[in-house]
Amino acid sequence: MKQKERIPFLLLIGPAAVFTVLMTALPFVQVINMSLKDFIIGFQGVYIGLENYAVMLKDPVFWNGLRVTFELYFLSLFSQLLIGLYIAVLLHRKLKGSRFLRTILLSPFTMPPVAVGMMWLILLDPSFGPANYFLELIGLEKSLFLASPSLVIRTLAAIDTWQFTPFVVLILLGGLQTLPEEPYEAAEIDGATRRQRFFYITLPLLRPSIITATILRSIDLLRFFDTIYITTQGGPGTASTTLNIYAYNTGFVYFRMGYASALMITLMAVVLITVVFFNFLRKRQY
Amino acid sequence: MHHIGKARKAATYIQYLLISLLILVPVVWLVVSSFKPSSAVVSYPPVFKFTPIIDNYVQLFKNLPYMLYTLNSILIAGGSTILGLLLAVPAAFAVSWYKKSWPTSVALLARMAPGGLYLLPWYIIFSRLGINGTYLALILTHTVITMPLSLLIMASFFDELPRELMECGMVDGYSLGGVILKIAVPLSAPGMVVSTVLTFILSWNYFLFALVLSKIRTTPLTVAAFKFVGEGVTDWGMLMAAATVLAIPPLVITFFAQKWLVQGLTYGAVKG
Repeated sequence: MKQKERIPFLLLIGPAAVFTVLMTALPFVQVINMSLKDFIIGFQGVYIGLENYAVMLKDPVFWNGLRVTFELYFLSLFSQLLIGLYIAVLLHRKLKGSRFLRTILLSPFTMPPVAVGMMWLILLDPSFGPANYFLELIGLEKSLFLASPSLVIRTLAAIDTWQFTPFVVLILLGGLQTLPEEPYEAAEIDGATRRQRFFYITLPLLRPSIITATILRSIDLLRFFDTIYITTQGGPGTASTTLNIYAYNTGFVYFRMGYASALMITLMAVVLITVVFFNFLRKRQY
Repeated sequence: MHHIGKARKAATYIQYLLISLLILVPVVWLVVSSFKPSSAVVSYPPVFKFTPIIDNYVQLFKNLPYMLYTLNSILIAGGSTILGLLLAVPAAFAVSWYKKSWPTSVALLARMAPGGLYLLPWYIIFSRLGINGTYLALILTHTVITMPLSLLIMASFFDELPRELMECGMVDGYSLGGVILKIAVPLSAPGMVVSTVLTFILSWNYFLFALVLSKIRTTPLTVAAFKFVGEGVTDWGMLMAAATVLAIPPLVITFFAQKWLVQGLTYGAVKG
């Protein structure tokens, strides 16, 4: 960049840069600093080196949190990509009425997660929830859903799938609309079936969009918080205590800020590694 | 696609219908139930016929300071949307004009951190500064999520503008600021709408920061609604009314701004 250009560039970027440094970069340095301390609110912190991280590695609740986080992540991501792809292909047929469906699709993920959580709390209530009523109607047994330690993760994954599959649909639909016509015409001449066209043309060409959707959902899913905090607060027991919920409770319920900082930094590292991995996949050519 | 047979068309419509129902029924159930008397809400099997009442809403706004909570939400979401745009628009122009990509990378990196990571130091710093629980603290923290999104959206809109147009402006004697305000921003009006709508909804919906940093006087609707859950549910009717009050504004905005929203999401998400 030429010297003459540097000054206006810095002036334009300045306010946003100063804001970002003050609100995120400096706090980030401080949170690293805090993670090296035995720091409980109301007491003067003492530096203990990497002790918090050593404690973390021996903490069963941390390992449980990591397991819950990834179970929830894989289950939700898999369902959202699969159902998202199905709906996107369906909408791409562009029949009359697909516009209407697209409008409806916008509503779940623009709703506040707090309201979505409260909504499902009512729908899935074990004693009066309509979900059980419909289960009984089709001859199935009532379920505890969120109150069951063995079902809570699957139920939360279903709630997140309800809310965010439409978001995946929009991204994939955007990808489908930019696909070139030629391979399909060639395939038609070669007499390829619909299934073959889908698996050998559409799916490979759609890869960038699928990876974009995967990255955006990964960032949110690995930090899964709102809906859990509203519906179960991590329970029953620790059955839905994700890493984020555990770190939050450590910091703001038990005020162990030093340990909470170490947990948050670990969570951030998990998100970062996942994103870097998928970015690598995106750039790699076959 | 090419030709679709009648049978396949019918099958597609049935699938459209099922998907629509899956999305709409839960939301409609929530809204409709908020007009039920409390006894009807918890009855099993569910009551389908009832006389709608507005008692739940009356109680919400009469017995609780829901007017204040609503205003707080508007103030925090509105404030952080405006501040986010003020910071993001010049930065986005710089990114686009000088073809620099590192500021967007930084914005993306900041987006990846869990909110709680910032919340820990903020809580301590704000306590020391004595601004815990103030609107200032809430607007500043919410701007941390609105500003990067506005930056990404505006940068991709500015990228689409013809360079010559702005170079002409400079030849005509506009300063760089003049070019932005008089040429780039008006030509990117759809981008401004998209940024405003998306970041307002994002900030309106955001829960975590206010959960820790708001006091009674500055509580937004998200945290107020959560109190029905946190304190052990006693009144399900009011809970549903609270969830509805919280959810309606984003839903209404989404409905009216859908055209721009789809465009913005594909810009902000796919290109970012």
